[in-house]
Amino acid sequence: MDILYLLIPLSVLLVICILGGLWWAIDKGQFDSVEQEGERILRDD
Amino acid sequence: MHFDTSTAKLLDDRQEWLRFSQQHKPTSLQGSDDCWDSHVVIQGMHCAACSFTVEEALMSVPGVQSAEVNAATHRAKVVWSAARVNPSEWMAAIAKAGYGALPAADTSLRQARHEEGRRALWRWLVAGFCMMQVMMYAYPAYVSREGDITPDMVFLLRWASWVLTLPVVLFSCGPFLGNALRDVRARRVSMDLPVALGMAITFLLSSAATFEPNGLFGGEVYYDSLTMFVFFLLTGRWLELRVRDRTAGALEALMNRLPDSVERQLSNGEFERVAVRRVLVGDVIRVLPSESFPADGVILQGQTLADEALLTGESHPQARGVGDSVVAGSHNLSGIVTVRVLQVGEGTQFSQIVSLMENASLQKPRLAQLADRIAKPFLIGVLVLAALSAVWWWSTSPSHALMVAVAVLVVTCPCALSLATPAAMLAAAGNLARHGVLLRNLQALEALAEIDTLIFDKTGTLTQDGQHVTQIITADGIAPEYALGLAAALAKHSLHPLSRALVQAHNVCASDAAFEVQDVNEMIGQGLQGHLNGRLRLGSATFCAPKAKGIPEQAAFCQVHLCSENEWLASWRLSEDIRTDAAQTVRALKDLNIDVWLLSGDRPESAQQVAQQVGIAHAVGACTPQDKLARMQSAQSQGARVAMVGDGLNDGPVLAGAHVSMAFGNAVPLAQSKSDFVLMGGSLLVVAQSVKLARHTLRVVRQNLIWAAAYNALCVPLAVAGLLPAWLAGLGMALSSLWVVLNSLRLTKGF
Repeated sequence: MDILYLLIPLSVLLVICILGGLWWAIDKGQFDSVEQEGERILRDD
Repeated sequence: MHFDTSTAKLLDDRQEWLRFSQQHKPTSLQGSDDCWDSHVVIQGMHCAACSFTVEEALMSVPGVQSAEVNAATHRAKVVWSAARVNPSEWMAAIAKAGYGALPAADTSLRQARHEEGRRALWRWLVAGFCMMQVMMYAYPAYVSREGDITPDMVFLLRWASWVLTLPVVLFSCGPFLGNALRDVRARRVSMDLPVALGMAITFLLSSAATFEPNGLFGGEVYYDSLTMFVFFLLTGRWLELRVRDRTAGALEALMNRLPDSVERQLSNGEFERVAVRRVLVGDVIRVLPSESFPADGVILQGQTLADEALLTGESHPQARGVGDSVVAGSHNLSGIVTVRVLQVGEGTQFSQIVSLMENASLQKPRLAQLADRIAKPFLIGVLVLAALSAVWWWSTSPSHALMVAVAVLVVTCPCALSLATPAAMLAAAGNLARHGVLLRNLQALEALAEIDTLIFDKTGTLTQDGQHVTQIITADGIAPEYALGLAAALAKHSLHPLSRALVQAHNVCASDAAFEVQDVNEMIGQGLQGHLNGRLRLGSATFCAPKAKGIPEQAAFCQVHLCSENEWLASWRLSEDIRTDAAQTVRALKDLNIDVWLLSGDRPESAQQVAQQVGIAHAVGACTPQDKLARMQSAQSQGARVAMVGDGLNDGPVLAGAHVSMAFGNAVPLAQSKSDFVLMGGSLLVVAQSVKLARHTLRVVRQNLIWAAAYNALCVPLAVAGLLPAWLAGLGMALSSLWVVLNSLRLTKGF
């Protein structure tokens, strides 16, 4: 059970890392237009 | 809210503020010439109470004459005097009240909206992830029995929950807490205050229990409740924002339809890209496929299909070739065209439509005003009730008492109440606009829903402006085509409806009898005269007859005659085109239990004839406008709710006297039209469909109000009784305002 004392703080760090990744994705504009990728194939340029 | 003084100062330049301002049209004599209507978007607004604050802040600036803020669209209309105040000064007043202001129809607006969307999504995701993890940490405490977990482990789990709740409180709750703080500083109550109080109390209570388990508030923590209700609230807000963008989006799409830049021809024939506001009347511009036309003009070169759906409701693309006119705001679909600009900026039909819609979306319908008025006492009531229930439960346990208060604070949802009316009406107005029906004020929707009598005008309403030739009589030895050719050669110099019908008839029969008539002049109201191997006259019997030997008996019923110097040549009988969908419209209205009348200024026989053809039983001809008004008023005095549909040209007083009025938008410039609804397209069927939609709208508004009232009446007592945990309260609040918006969304479909 002692391992929990390590795992629980680790899980907190993990959540913070995931949130960091999401922030990056939002900031890059990946969620701005969900249809965009599907429509890109139809565009000329 | 950050306020950049130097950027705002730029807006003091007349060129700059003209972009979001229009000359104020004084309603009374006191308005001076130098007054302007400016439209701005207010940032940081969350509720109806905010709109009062912004209005008050604006009104306190000397030189600002009036300010109207719409809580649902976040748009404000400011009427101000350029002689007494600069835009940067009243914008500073908005910033001082704690809000941001952006000129409407600006690119920075789109940018800001974009940023806001991203941040809202980010807040929501932070709340969601932290909530899931906090749940995990809370789980052992729920399932374990006394002594299963060591106190060390309990402390570790609480500590981990605290760390993950911190970003939720500081970041995800930021808007709620920030707004509440601003309101407290300004000593006023807003809808964010109860929610923010609930969040703060829960967090402080749980923090105290974590770090001092033996203190006054005991050892219970509520991190899971807190993160969960924050997540639910943000989900609700996020969805609400998206849905509202969709409903208000129809209006927005119309308003932001002009492109930012366009290719303009230089003196050497080359094209350069310039900002649209630099384009002047007389410029030649090139519009590429998939661009919008930035100004009204006429095509010089090229051919294309134009999508004018948002302007006229006409859903099919219209073919436009050399010499055809194009209107600002319509979409160029297929070809490259060069256009000579005839009308820019405020003069365009597009800008008149936009200003009409902006004004309409700003008005607060009666029901919405009622909701706004009760919002403030309601909020104060909630705060008092929360305090009372905390006092009542204090003796059982202080922490339980505080959580009951939190549930009361969170569960009440004045948002649903204040959104109920505007959300539904804006959705309906957006839908109507897409089908070419413009609304002058939202209140008219309510009036239209209640009508039981509808009066049609005849000319220009049931019938089209155009006429067509039904009969031709010629003198012996003259071929009808030859006579028509002569008449058309004269008639093409006139814009009179009868002349245009003759030209049209000539074009249709495609004869090669083409003539060139010299020295044509028009006697207004009588006819045309010109020279072609002697004098020719085309027009009424009295105008033609004196020079000829007289019009023969058999042609007496004709309206138009053609005579040479001393001989009668031919006569035409023309009749009006009844709109193809007139009969269908009358049937549809009767199905809606509406009494349909026809009051016409035309001869009784022709009124009767038209009435018979379209199926109207009650038709009266030879009415002066006063007669029409008197007949309508006598119906109104018997309790009828009357709608009037006219061309808006010569039935002004009748339109004004009706409970609700509709007029076609092509007869009168939009800005001068006084009717409540303006029909942009040529279809009459939209009249019946608008009535149907208005009735539907009123039903939806009632449902929304009943729902909001019932929800609060049911949930507040439950919360006070301590039966509603905080997370369920958060879910309830989010769902109730979402339900209102989703219910309103139904109005955007179906017409």
